[in-house]
Amino acid sequence: MDTVWLCLIALGCATALLTGQVDAMMMSVIDGADQAIQLVIGLAGIYCLWSGIEKLAAESGLVDALASLTRPVLSFLFPRLKGDKHPLGTISATVISNMLGLSSTTPLGLKAMKEIQRVSKTEDDSMDSMIRLVVMCAAGFCVFPSSIIAIRAALGSSAPAAISGPCALAGLAATTGGLLAHRVLSRNPGKRR
Amino acid sequence: MEILSRIGVYSFPVLLVGVPLYAWRKGVPVYETFISGAQDGLKTVIGTLPYLVAIFVGVSCFRGSGALDLISRFLGVILRPLGIPADMLPLVVIRPISGSGALAITADLVQRYGPDSPFGLLASILQGATDTSFFVVTLYFGAVGVKRTRHALAACLFGDLCGFVAGVLVWRMLVR
Repeated sequence: MDTVWLCLIALGCATALLTGQVDAMMMSVIDGADQAIQLVIGLAGIYCLWSGIEKLAAESGLVDALASLTRPVLSFLFPRLKGDKHPLGTISATVISNMLGLSSTTPLGLKAMKEIQRVSKTEDDSMDSMIRLVVMCAAGFCVFPSSIIAIRAALGSSAPAAISGPCALAGLAATTGGLLAHRVLSRNPGKRR
Repeated sequence: MEILSRIGVYSFPVLLVGVPLYAWRKGVPVYETFISGAQDGLKTVIGTLPYLVAIFVGVSCFRGSGALDLISRFLGVILRPLGIPADMLPLVVIRPISGSGALAITADLVQRYGPDSPFGLLASILQGATDTSFFVVTLYFGAVGVKRTRHALAACLFGDLCGFVAGVLVWRMLVR
């Protein structure tokens, strides 16, 4: 992350200086910091809502039930979380929510990250499970991509949801590719940041 | 697909009323538990702010300076032989970096080519092939206070690449 962040800023500033776009760059940076705040404020309400619902699901045993149902698949995907019902339940809720394109995905995902951190004994264990979860969420395997369908419908498509199947296939490929990359890259964790 | 979109729409109210009802029947103090969960959520969200500011500043510096455009144009030369118009390229480059930016580009492409035209379909598929990796990595690791994310971003970006390639392949079968 160090390298990526530095590169973004250094390359941006260098390009701005070379092309004389320093003003535009500066405005954009100020705007970006502002956007981060706006995003957090905009998301806070829906986060609170889903975190509250998730807590109810957890306290009532619903999350554990979900974990038992999806255990075969999830134990395969998260080998280091075997037997830990609570994170597994939240993870499966996250994945299902992601597939349906619901607004609850991110709040559930963040909750799952915290639970992984809580139950993992070593840093390697927690990082392995966390990266797997992040890869799965970043790949956006979704059977109902609501924002694109909305745009297509608004622009007069005769079949706005026709892209759902192809998107799901591509998302599946992204998930698989990401998890494979994780397997290869995690062989020598000491060398990477 | 009609059924799937119905499931997407109806699962919201089902969860909203179903989970609290279930918890109530199990004897959980519903209101109290909801409030305590919402408090946790608020703390988490506020905690991610510094991480988000960092990545948004980095990304907007990169985009506002024109560096992102330069890279897109350079990559466009590579992709043209594959029968993909060069204006799909900014979409592919921006997709992992900025979600709202990519959505704006998709909307523009879909409008320009027509939503049911081959390239309108391709733009939609590329948009839906993956999610905003930079954002997800920042937000998720921000929530647990992990600053060294190891190879998480690299793995996500490789996943994005796989998603795009698969998207183009499926698109080719679809429009043929």
